[in-house]
Formats: sequence, structure tokens, C-alpha cells
Amino acid sequence: MKNIIVCMKQVLDPEIPLSLFHIDTEAKQAIPPKAMPPVLSPFDENALEAALKIKDVQEATVTVISLGKKLNRVVVSSALAAGADQLVLLQDESFGDFNTYLTANAIAAAIKKLGQYDLILCGLQASDTNTGQVGIGIASILGIPCITAASKVELVDDKIKIEKALADGHEVIEAPSPVVVTATYEVGALREPGVEDFMSASKKPITIWNAGELGIETGNTNRFDLVKMYQPAHEGKCEILEGASSEEKAEKLALKLKEIKVI
Amino acid sequence: MSPVAESYFGISGYIIFWLLFVVALGLFIQRASLLLRLLKLGRPENRFDRMGYRFTSMLTIGFTQSSNLKSLTLKDPAALGHAIMFWGLIIFGVSYFVFIGLGGGFGLYTIFSGSSFETVFFSILDIVAVLVILSMIWVVIKRYLIVPDRLKREMSPAEKIVQPLLIVVIIGLMLLHFGIEGFRYAAYGIPGSGPPLGVPLAQTLVNAGISGDTLAAVYKIFWWLNFVLLLVAVIYAPRSKHLHPLASFPNLLFRNLAPKGSVKPVDLKKPETSGAAEIRDFSWKQLLDLYSCTWCGRCHVVCPAQLSGKPLSPRELILGMKEHLLEEGPKLLKKQVPASSVAVDKAGVTDPESSTEHTGRGKTLIGDVISEEAIWSCTTCLACQDICPVNNEHIDKIIDLRRHLQMIAKTEVARDTLKNLRVRGNPWRGTMYARTDWTEGLNIKVVGEDSNIDVLYWVGCTEALEDRSLKVARAVAKLMKQAGVNFGILGEEEMCCGDPARRLGAEHLFQMLAMNNIQLLQSYNIKKIVTACPHCFNTLKNEYPKLEGQFDVVHHTQFIVELLKDKKLRVKPSGDALVTYQDPCYLGRYNDIFDVPRQIINDILGMTLVEMEQNKKDGFCCGGGGGRMWIEEKFGQRINEMRLDQAINTQAKVVAIACPFCLQMYEDAAKAKNAEESLKVRDIAELVEESLEVSQDTAKNMK
Repeated sequence: MKNIIVCMKQVLDPEIPLSLFHIDTEAKQAIPPKAMPPVLSPFDENALEAALKIKDVQEATVTVISLGKKLNRVVVSSALAAGADQLVLLQDESFGDFNTYLTANAIAAAIKKLGQYDLILCGLQASDTNTGQVGIGIASILGIPCITAASKVELVDDKIKIEKALADGHEVIEAPSPVVVTATYEVGALREPGVEDFMSASKKPITIWNAGELGIETGNTNRFDLVKMYQPAHEGKCEILEGASSEEKAEKLALKLKEIKVI
Repeated sequence: MSPVAESYFGISGYIIFWLLFVVALGLFIQRASLLLRLLKLGRPENRFDRMGYRFTSMLTIGFTQSSNLKSLTLKDPAALGHAIMFWGLIIFGVSYFVFIGLGGGFGLYTIFSGSSFETVFFSILDIVAVLVILSMIWVVIKRYLIVPDRLKREMSPAEKIVQPLLIVVIIGLMLLHFGIEGFRYAAYGIPGSGPPLGVPLAQTLVNAGISGDTLAAVYKIFWWLNFVLLLVAVIYAPRSKHLHPLASFPNLLFRNLAPKGSVKPVDLKKPETSGAAEIRDFSWKQLLDLYSCTWCGRCHVVCPAQLSGKPLSPRELILGMKEHLLEEGPKLLKKQVPASSVAVDKAGVTDPESSTEHTGRGKTLIGDVISEEAIWSCTTCLACQDICPVNNEHIDKIIDLRRHLQMIAKTEVARDTLKNLRVRGNPWRGTMYARTDWTEGLNIKVVGEDSNIDVLYWVGCTEALEDRSLKVARAVAKLMKQAGVNFGILGEEEMCCGDPARRLGAEHLFQMLAMNNIQLLQSYNIKKIVTACPHCFNTLKNEYPKLEGQFDVVHHTQFIVELLKDKKLRVKPSGDALVTYQDPCYLGRYNDIFDVPRQIINDILGMTLVEMEQNKKDGFCCGGGGGRMWIEEKFGQRINEMRLDQAINTQAKVVAIACPFCLQMYEDAAKAKNAEESLKVRDIAELVEESLEVSQDTAKNMK
């Protein structure tokens, strides 16, 4: 029986309408709108799909770990409805969005506490902070390899086989388990839960740990100095280039782009 | 002189009569019992409410042929021919019972022979027989000479024999009436004033000098031939498409009495009962529809999917399923397998080992009988169901198939849309609007802040979140403000009514959204709701009650027309602009609201309404219903462009709209066909707003 761990972050819905998106520049954070609940970060959903695809073809237990200050039960439980077997919630006041070092430490501690694991899957990067550091951080702390931006993940005996998309093709990598793999959208969209999945989700186990129970230091752990957070003012300017023919317009466009240093 | 009362080769005619009868009855019962046992394979369904009304209306609708005659038009007068044949055969049926049954088999012929009752009856039969023969000639022409599109269908080898056989039988029975009449009168005595055709025929036979013995012998032969042909019809009717006269009466009896627009909910506590993957997953009533189908093909030629080149045909759905039931059903009966035991592995693939069809390579329902592509092609416009002369219900079968594909087989169709519904409560993924953005500058009450309102304006997802439709929401709100209506909106709390989820087969999602909305509406004590979207209107009005949500729901045209009649809104008639009107399927065919929007356009706004060639009950779908708004058309022509052509043909300058889906579809089609300048697309609320007479004081209400 293989043990797969998937790390999923609860984030502000990246698709909320513009009018509902506001930044509190004092507190340096986005204000969660009441009307739109948070979601699971999109790449993390791809990571879960990668885990479930493995579970489709062999016996495996998929454990989802989610970390945050205040986790929305309905949102994180959707991972169980999609097919994960159990949920581990790491909740603590000190677990901030941008403290990637603390996040990686906390999750690594939880993974060690869970015991045996064959594969750890994370999303390429979270849709709110976009740092892409936690997956790599967990690997570093656990002392195992990390392969990023996987488009396909397979688990055969004790080997992990990964396909990684490149600009001009793809790379096939084989590694001995355990490893950390971060997934991109090419892995595939997370399957929608069917009606039985919703029913069975409520019966699956949920474990909750805080920083104390994980035995980790929370003070002075931030290696990240958030200087400023703001919404850039959006200015639209449209200049129409005239010309006698398409060729002339294209030439003018190319010169203009060069002038403003786009190309 | 009853031929039954005589002896043939020493055997009493009564013995021969009853022997033949019992054999025929036995063969009839054998087939009928198989058909009934096949029905029992299906799931239970409660159609036993209001039995008294069901029974009486079955008789009235059936005998007046009203559900058939509703499709009678100059272009398609076949319903009249059917009615004539139907009534004619009923009358003959009575005569067979009286004269062959009572008079012949039971030996009571002395009561009837030579009586004026018999003479009068035979006179009526003379006329009826001629009418039936004429209608049968019409049948032959329609089936073999000038075949309309709706009747063009590949017949199985068996059907190719049985169809002409039964035509011959019916014509034969009619001709035999004359033969029996004529030869009997000629042999035994012609009545003084008698049947208008029988008497002259008998006279001719007598004048021809044929001997009395020959006449009597021929009479007896014809009599027995008549009896045998009758029994042949009895034996073969349930073995052919002529099962429909037998099945259509029960089908009428058990027809749908719930609102047309409501779909039966699924009991989510028993998810294995969700949807249909095999023929036995349908209810007995859905299977009875298959027996009742008359092969008329009217559903086939009104279906917008079929007409635009999609692989869906409502006729093939029904007849394909019927053939499938007759093929696979007997195998299932032999094995007595418990209901719905098809195992589906995690990737959604049916496991052939556990399939109930592993007695050799049986056909699969989804795939062989009806393709997935066909299942998703349906726009749920109801045209097929509405025109069906035997009250068949096509839509609930499509939805049950979709339920299986969506909830159990985990199809990829519309996955993004359904996910957006589940996560964000609306189907419009990628919208840049919040639900209250459209209210900017209008100062509209949100119920969460001030619940003191007389009526709730249910905005709907499309009008709140889709660019073009925001203008309609603003128009509706401005009209209500102008009229001084104390209304409010749910604002950000409003979630999708659930219609796309249900029509796409994601029943669990529908129930989640619906329960949420019902709770919310009840918590604010909402009683009256007005909405500009016919899909929301239909769902709130006809489907929420089944989930304990009872509200008084009106469509915005119904609401606005009252405001106009009460003079709370004043309009200046806008001259003689030529306007055509698109009947939304979910407002028109589903809820029988045709006149109110026309009243506004014609009478109140004073515009000249010109109808498209397909209007009102025959209205052609825009292509947006059934969740198809979110599925790309891959085959044939685009439905909305076909419909736009009809609008362009009217020479109208404006298309009046009453549904946000129709609005999207028409605007898209107009852009695609470069018709934006020549044909403007406007919601009725926008038309009214443009024609408003705004005085100085009332202008203040708009602020």
C-alpha cells in the first residue's frame, strides 16, 4: 500500500471579480470578500489529481495536508470529496501566508509525525503568493529530492517516474521514492466529485494539529520581509497606428515596440 | 342464419369458433404478458395520484382524439385521417363484439338477425367502411408513395412484412363487411330499406343469377375469413408498432400531471438510483412510453438539434430504446438479475464482466442505442414532447441518461461550468462582475440590509454577471423604481437557481443550490418573486415546490404588463416599428405564456408585431437551454443562426426578447451573420424603458 501526501493551500479565490478585490495596504494583505468563499489553490488541485490518478491504478492512501490561520471546513473537505482518504489540518495563528520557511517546517514536521510516505505532491506555486518555495523547502528539510513542474507522475514499485514539460518538449525523470514533486496544470483538472463521493467524504477522518503539537518554533522564523502590498493603478492607453497598407502598419508597429523596449 | 350455428365436416361451428378464439387470445396474452413483465423490469414510479381524473380524462382525450388532433395543420392533415380511422374502427369494434361475439359465438343471433337495429347498424357501417378505406388509401400513399420526412425510417425485416400485412388486414376487414352484407342479403333476403351500399350490392348479385347455395356458401366463407382476419390483427397488434393503440390508453392514464417544466428529483440518499445507464434503470412509465410510440415521427421533425444536423433524434431515442428493451429485456428476465448492478470503475468505464448483458455481446444503451453526443445535444426545448400524440415524455429520459453520465460516469462535459456552480454559485466562469455591480447608481435595496419589501427581484446569474444582460437588469430595475414598486434583491447572497445543474444531470449540485436558495428566501420571509429569466422562473415556480419551496413567482413581462395596465408606467406608443418576438421555450411551451409579451409589444407599445414562421407553441429554440449555453456545438449548423434567419425573414427591424439566453444567442448570431445593424435585439424591458414617458416628478423616482 503506497502512501501519498498532497499539500493543499486554501487561498483567496483567484477568479473573484475585480470589484470585490481589495488590499489593506496597512495590514499588507488582501481582504477576503464575504461574498466569495476561499478555494483550494489551483495547482494544488492538480497535485491532488496526480495523486488520485496513481490511486486509480494501484492501492494507495492519499493524505491531504492543509495549513493556515483559519481553514474553511467546507473548502478543505472538498479534497475528501474528490477522493482523498484523510485530511490533516495544521491551524495556528502564526501560520501566515508569506512565511514560507515556517510553512515548510510545519508541513515537514506533520509529515514526519504521520510516519511512512512514498511520495509528496505539491502545487507548482500557490495562486496568491506565487513563491513556489514550500515544496522545495519541504524536500530540503526532509532531505529528499524535489522535482518541479511535473506534467505526469507515475509510481511504479519503488520508483517515481515523472514527465516534466519544457519549452521545446518534455523530460522524463526517474527517481527512487520518496521524493517531493510539484505539479502543473498539465497533470489534468481535478475530477468533480460524484454524489456518492460527497456522502462518503463526511465519514473520512480529519486530524487537526497546531504549532505546539507539531513541536516547531514559530517565533522569529520569517525569512521574508514584506515591504509593500498594493494594487497597481490600471491605466489604459490606446494608440492606433495608421498606414496605407498592412505592411506599412506592421513596420510602424515593430518600430514602436522597439522604441518602448518591448522587443 | 349464423355461420357459427352450422356444422363443418361434422364439427360444430361453435367449437371451431371458440377454438380459434382461444388460440388467438392465448397468443395475445402470451405477448401481452411478456410486455408487462418487461415493464416490471423498470423502476417504480408513482403515477397513481388523482386516479378518478386520470381515468375520465383518459377516456375524453382518447375518444375525442384531442392529443392527436392538436398537431392537425394544413401542411400535416394526417391527424384527421387517423381520427377517422380510429372512430371508424371503434364503431366496427362494437359491431364485432355484438354481431360476431354475441350474435355468433354466443349464439344470440336470433335477437339481431333481420332486426331494424341490425339494419341501421349495417347502414352506419357502410358509410364508416368507406371512410376507413379512404383513410387507408391515404395511409398507403403516405407510407409508400409520397413519404413525408417524419415517416422516413429504416424498418426491420419483420416490420417490412407486418406493416403491409396489417394494412391489408384492415382494408380486407372493410371489404369483407360489404362482402358479408351483400352475399347474406342476396342469399337470405334483402331488407326493404337497408344499408345504402349493401342493398344495391345484394341486388346486383341476385340479378347476376348466382344460385342461392353459392351465395350462402360465399357468405359463410367471407364470414369465417372476417373472423380469422380479426384474430390475425389481435395476434399481431402487440407484436408490431400497432401495439400503440393498446399502450396509448394506459399511457394517457398515467401521463404526467405535474407542471411540464418540472423534472422528478432524485433521492440522493440512494445514489445508485441516480440516472439511467441500462434500459432497466428507467421507470415502468418511461418504458410504457416506448410501447405507445406510433412511429409518427413528428418529434423528429420539430427537434432543433435534429434540424440543425446534430446526432439526436427524439424518435430514434424512443424507438431505439423500444427495440433495445425487446432485445435485451427477455435476456434480463431469464437471468432475474437484481436491479442496476452495473459496476463502474473509477475511470467511469463500465465493467463488462459485471454487466447484466454478458449473455453474448449485447448492445449498450449509452453508446450503441444512443450516443453520448446525442444525449448532450438536447436543448430541452420540449417541442418533441408537446407535439407527441400519445403524450410521450422524451425529456425525462435524456435527463436520466445525463444524470448517469454526470454523477456516476463522471463525464467531462461542462465540467468547468459545474465546478464553477459548485464553488462560486454561478455558471459564468470568468465573469468580471460581482452580483451587485449592475446596480451602480441605482440605489437598490438589498434584502440582507433591509428586508422590508413587497416583491423580490430575482436577478438570475446571466443578468447579474453577463455583460450584455446587465443592461436588462438595469432596465427592469428602472421600470420598477419608476412605477414606485417596493422591491429588493438578494445581491451577493443570490446563488444560481440550479437550472443548468439539473438540466446537465448534476442533480446533487441542483439540490444543494436549490436548498440553499429556499432556506435563504424563507429566512427573509419572501412571498412574491419577479424574475426576468424564464429558466429561473420555471425552476422557482415549478421545481422548488417539490423541495418545500413555495413562492408566488411571476415573469417580468407579466409583472410589467400589470404596471402598464394600472398606469403606474406610462409609455408613448412608438410608431410603426416592425418587431418580431422570440417565444422563450421555458416561458412559452413550458409555461403557456404567449400572450402577455405580445400584448406589451402590440397593444401597449403600439409596435407592429410580425410573427416568425415558427411561433408560440411551435416556437423554435434559440439553442441555449438544457445547459447547452455552456457546451460548444460541434456538428451541423448553429441553432441560433438558423433561428436568426427566421427572424430576418420577417423583415422586422427589432427582435423582442424575454429571456437572457435568447438574448445571448441572438446577439451572437447577429454578430456572426453581420446583421447587427439591420436587426436590433432588445429585451421587452428595454423596449418599455425606451418608450417611457417620464414627467418631471417621476424622473425623481429614478434616482
